[in-house]
Amino acid sequence: MSTRPLVEYESVDKYFGETHVLKEVDLAVEEQEVVVVVGPSGSGKSTLLRCANRLEEIQGGEIRIAGDLISGPDANVNRLRQQVGMVFQSFNLFPHMTATENVAVGPRKVKGVPESEATKRADDLLGRVGLGDQTASYPAELSGGQQQRVAIARALAMDPKVMLFDEVTSALDPELVGEVLGVMKDLATEGMTMLTVTHEMGFAREVGDRIVLMSDGEVVEQGAPESFFESPETERGERFLERLL
Amino acid sequence: MSETQYGRGDESPSSPFLNDQRLKIIGIAASGLFTLAVVGFLGVILYTQVNPDRFVNIIHPQFIDAFFVVLRIVAISSVLSVTGGMLVGLGRISETLPTRGIAKGYIEFFRGTPLLFQLIVIYSGIPAFWPPGQFPIANFSVPAAIIGLTLNHSAYIGEAIRGGVEAVPDGQMEAARSLGMSYAQAMREVVLPQAWRNALAAIGNDQVILVKDTSLLSVLAVPEIISTVQNINSATFDIWTPILWAAILYLAITIPLGKFVRYLEARADPTGGPR
Repeated sequence: MSTRPLVEYESVDKYFGETHVLKEVDLAVEEQEVVVVVGPSGSGKSTLLRCANRLEEIQGGEIRIAGDLISGPDANVNRLRQQVGMVFQSFNLFPHMTATENVAVGPRKVKGVPESEATKRADDLLGRVGLGDQTASYPAELSGGQQQRVAIARALAMDPKVMLFDEVTSALDPELVGEVLGVMKDLATEGMTMLTVTHEMGFAREVGDRIVLMSDGEVVEQGAPESFFESPETERGERFLERLL
Repeated sequence: MSETQYGRGDESPSSPFLNDQRLKIIGIAASGLFTLAVVGFLGVILYTQVNPDRFVNIIHPQFIDAFFVVLRIVAISSVLSVTGGMLVGLGRISETLPTRGIAKGYIEFFRGTPLLFQLIVIYSGIPAFWPPGQFPIANFSVPAAIIGLTLNHSAYIGEAIRGGVEAVPDGQMEAARSLGMSYAQAMREVVLPQAWRNALAAIGNDQVILVKDTSLLSVLAVPEIISTVQNINSATFDIWTPILWAAILYLAITIPLGKFVRYLEARADPTGGPR
């Protein structure tokens, strides 16, 4: 409804001890926009993402989710996190629950959805990510690509306004990357707002609405995929692209 | 028995050592000799030291009483120490400094002093606060035993649970919190079920030790198995008959207990267990 961006970073500073990992970062993700953050390892991409649902505390600036401050001391973090779906590099599925239970546990425990309803919805979501026949499997019985798709369904089950993807294909065998990117592409097509950290430049180029290049904790360049990949504006952007070749 | 076990090694030659013929022969020879020695020793004891008539008819009623005393104390202390251990373990991982400190101190004291010492403190130390003969609990030995075993084993189980929680990857808590769960919900739904599974083997181990620790209760005048051995020995000058009974009765508790723990472990295994 609002015209405000769904995710807003305003001069965000983040330190790990003495190390300044995010330096006055400004970034906004508009509704239905797919923003892809790229950059070398250690540039602060993942930290940037993890601050958005307050898995990391920031030391300066503000972060807002749909206009609500998530970074302040009075923020209702548990409520705001329900609006932010998070998918991790290492899946982090709950190993003692089946695929269905993994997806249903959030709505059941956090939103109080009755078990039968949550289970039905979970199975629908698993069908949507192509796992309709694996609902009763435990994570240990699934491949990495299947596990990551369960993790996406688990995040979607909370009906988030925005999805965060933190290098979700980096831990996968190369032949399993495609199935996960396919699900993400479908989500983007359906209009999901996404903030994605990835090393998959093909995906960034094809699915991204905007590319954000980070280096040493700063956003050094951002723009549409075509212009970024064809003719980067900064020397830092040029060097980054050169190294990809 | 040992034959079939070695045979199994043949079918899965995972390690080159298992296929080493000489090593296999040495193993069979060693275990054969060991079995022979045990059987021979038992035979000598049974033949020279134990009167079968007395073994069955005269002595065992006293042992049956002792057995049930031990079983009752174990059952109660077991439930209480696992419950107490949960609290100690949760205190140990608490984010509140005083809670964590108290749990740590508790564990240090009860693991750092002998159980026998703790039993004496409770059994003799506590009643000393009353004038002689005024202590309100008439038969304090069994309650004191249960209190001592519970306090002591809660410390060990607390450590097992702390270890179990710490073995759960941080990503589990992060994933649960990312769904909007509170810290308590994430612990209850996600972390503790996995921690329990991780800690089960150590908890089971501790409970077997708890059974054997009842042997110390003879100093509290609890009529348990060891004091029965000593009573019968001093009354009859027969030592091997009560020793054999004691061995049988301890194993009658510890072996099924071990099997029960393995059953719980199998049931808690996410892929091999429920449904």
